Amino acid sequence: MATVIDAVTPARTDHRRVRVTATMTGIAGALMAVVAGSLFDVRPPDAYGICMACHARDLVNWTINAAAGSELTVAPASLVVPVLTPIGVLLGALLAARTSREFRWQQPDHPVKTFIYGIVVMNCALLAGGCSIRLLLRTGAGEPLGIMGFGALGAGVALATVWLRWKATR
Amino acid sequence: MIAAVATLVAGVVLGYLGQRSRMCFVGGIRDFILVRDGYLLRGLVAFGITAWLAFPLMTAIGAAGVGPFAAPDLTTIILTACGGFGVGYVSTLANGCPFRQHVLAAQGIVSSVTYVAGFFAGAVIFHLWAAPLLLRLLP
Repeated sequence: MATVIDAVTPARTDHRRVRVTATMTGIAGALMAVVAGSLFDVRPPDAYGICMACHARDLVNWTINAAAGSELTVAPASLVVPVLTPIGVLLGALLAARTSREFRWQQPDHPVKTFIYGIVVMNCALLAGGCSIRLLLRTGAGEPLGIMGFGALGAGVALATVWLRWKATR
Repeated sequence: MIAAVATLVAGVVLGYLGQRSRMCFVGGIRDFILVRDGYLLRGLVAFGITAWLAFPLMTAIGAAGVGPFAAPDLTTIILTACGGFGVGYVSTLANGCPFRQHVLAAQGIVSSVTYVAGFFAGAVIFHLWAAPLLLRLLP
């Protein structure tokens, strides 16, 4: 339970003093995702403007293909040069953390467990055709599969949250 | 090349805003169920509504739109639902969506750095082993 509370507390307490809200981030993120897909050739597939999983897959597989001559799958949008969303997010967050003096190294509690979580989430996201951001983007685009995927994601979050609460209180 | 530059710029802006706002795309649902806090959930809803409005707007100004979408077959529906459920369930256990984990990794949280390393490794694992195995098992 401590893990869940730790994760919840910063969002509940810090948003009163930070100027950028989650609503602003949501609006800006959606606008950039739609504009990137419609005006800047981040397609096909449709609704591909921002995705942490698919874009990370494209970046990793394109790099391995270029280095080793393999033929791992990349999306058509990344055939010539890969999309760079994961690099951009890391750079942007690093810039924000440095300027707000929130950057500090914290040693991991369970590095192997989080490494495995990363593997599992990436495999599930590629199976679903997108991470939580792209599933929501596909839902906004009106794609039936995106709506089903995002509904299943919501069910997964709800079940995991209830399970964590039950585990903490029993 | 234009797609790479556009996604890099969009990523930097989104990463900056995400770090300042603590945005998480699974945290909104989790926080609301757990403590009835709607701060992150409002960001999630704002993203969905903005995308829903912006796609037709892009089509109206003559830019490339989306769809029409073909009716999916049952196998694809089941795989998408299983994948979406897995993303939601495991992301909640991992304390954040992939986007939030990238932001935390850039803040120096080593647990999130190992998560991102596993996330990148997962792409190779999926295409080398998981996808071929699924294709062999599915009808």
